[in-house]
Amino acid sequence: MVLEATGAESGGIGAIIKGVINELIGSDKTAIVVPFGHGMFNINQSVVDTWIVMLVLLVVCLILTTNLKVHNISKRQALAESIVTGLRKVVSSSLGSQAAEYTDYLIVVLGYIGACNLMGVFGKTPPTMDLNITVSLALMSIILVEAAGIRKKKVGGWLKSFTKPIWVITPMNILEVGIKPLSLCMRLFGNVLGATVIMELLKEMFKLLFEGIQGNFFIAQFARDGLPALVPAIFSLYFDFFDGLLQAYVFVFLTSLYIKEATETEEE
Amino acid sequence: MGSLAAIGAGLAALTGIGAGIGIGIATSKAVDAVARQPEASGKIMTLLILGGALAEATAIYGMVVAIIILFA
Repeated sequence: MVLEATGAESGGIGAIIKGVINELIGSDKTAIVVPFGHGMFNINQSVVDTWIVMLVLLVVCLILTTNLKVHNISKRQALAESIVTGLRKVVSSSLGSQAAEYTDYLIVVLGYIGACNLMGVFGKTPPTMDLNITVSLALMSIILVEAAGIRKKKVGGWLKSFTKPIWVITPMNILEVGIKPLSLCMRLFGNVLGATVIMELLKEMFKLLFEGIQGNFFIAQFARDGLPALVPAIFSLYFDFFDGLLQAYVFVFLTSLYIKEATETEEE
Repeated sequence: MGSLAAIGAGLAALTGIGAGIGIGIATSKAVDAVARQPEASGKIMTLLILGGALAEATAIYGMVVAIIILFA
């Protein structure tokens, strides 16, 4: 009885916070229902959103790379070249010279995660807020890391690398194969989730704040209708642009560190 | 059950302490470094932001755990 009474009373701000979080995490996100498999193969909204991201990236790439020339290049080609060389410099600086062939994969991941995180700017929930997406990205990363290690050191050397620097640490090294992708995906997921929750709460708060403004003057009308959209946009600069791109970079940076660690051969 | 879960979520949120201390130390060292070598401030800034993002991740793990406790 007591519980019911408190449940009924929890209105106001608490209810708003609960509603926002429930809508972000709890609600069913199925976008396309597949007729077979009893809902096991249903496609989530986040996957559809990543298709949009892929399409946009693909179209941008196609626009930038059509009609490439060696001499007398166009402005478009100069832009494309500066983007590619800039990204390569950023990624390869942490990757080292030993594993330079993985640079382009990491650039693609950087662009993909960055574009996904930027979806929050357009009022959509970013696809990286879905654990399924970040888990698959982290699994791809750890498979690449271990495959790079096997390719460089052969199977024997790769197995032996678990006992480095001393044999006592072997269980830790084996655990790390699971911990690395777990920390990668949780970091990305948690950061994007946190930023999105804070942005949603800010939007609700400013809506409440400016709702109560009375009057029919132009300024009052602007404050009522315009400000709730404009003020969160300032915070969106930090939470969506800065944090989103930073997290994309951190993901790629850590993956490249792991690859560098896996492909390092000792000079003896 | 419900109130105990809330206590657990609150405890999980204590990870913020570690992240706060870590970012504080990193920032103070960065300030030291810039005061000593102002010409390296660009590089120090990049490293500081990267380290801040990595240290922040521990707090984020706490938040993820708290949300899992409360909503899953």
